[in-house]
Amino acid sequence: MDLSQIPVFKAMAKRLAWLTERQTVLAQNVANVDTPGYVPEDMKEPDFRKVLQEGGTSKLRLSTTASGHFGGRPVSANGSGNSSKEKGGEKSLSGNAVSLEDQMLKVSQTASDYALMTNLYRKQVGMVKTALGHSSG
Amino acid sequence: MDLSKSLQVAVSGLDAESARLKVISENLANAQSTALTPGGDPYRRKIISFRSVFDQQLDATKVGVGRVGPAPGDFQRHYDPVHPGADAEGYVKMPNVNPMIEVMDMREAQRSYEANLNVIEASKAMLSRTIDLLRG
Repeated sequence: MDLSQIPVFKAMAKRLAWLTERQTVLAQNVANVDTPGYVPEDMKEPDFRKVLQEGGTSKLRLSTTASGHFGGRPVSANGSGNSSKEKGGEKSLSGNAVSLEDQMLKVSQTASDYALMTNLYRKQVGMVKTALGHSSG
Repeated sequence: MDLSKSLQVAVSGLDAESARLKVISENLANAQSTALTPGGDPYRRKIISFRSVFDQQLDATKVGVGRVGPAPGDFQRHYDPVHPGADAEGYVKMPNVNPMIEVMDMREAQRSYEANLNVIEASKAMLSRTIDLLRG
């Protein structure tokens, strides 16, 4: 059985990939906190409702047999292109616009979102296991 | 592995901040280093600058040490005729190191170092949660 074919798992995997990508972007910002002229980046929040609708409620879907088909693209393909420079915010004398407090807040947000997702993932796997007749999950 | 990417970026931040701390400690240690020859120049304060480097292999922007260069600024002159570095008028040039500024820079480097450590902690927690998924 392929878990990634189940829409909920698919959506969660996408969310996890997005959070991972965001963590990298935030790490870049924190690493460059003293680099002159550096402007911090952040990821665009994708519309996860669309992701769910796309694969969730529709019963009849075209199968994706080639990578060019709709819905067949991997998340990572558009992952790194999703980051954009943050607007606004105060700049220091050196032209650096990274606010350490902001970044730390985002890092902890990302980490707790990730924890939420992994917990949900585990629960879903447990449910599948229950359906299969293993009571260990 | 994508989370190792953020770990590596944070480690580059740690490297850069420790390089900065090294320069600061050089400045502080040499705050009284005068010239040995009469009228010579004493230790000149060093300044470190960072620049962001795009790591193609990693596909992420790291931070690197741009340049360690001498800091501009005049030397203060102290009257000390018996000093071996004193000029004909009896003045010794002292380094242009201001301990206050160095300590402030040190604090800043310390805070940035801690911030990078926090990113590593968060990424590590995320990584171990992923591994925990295997336990079911």
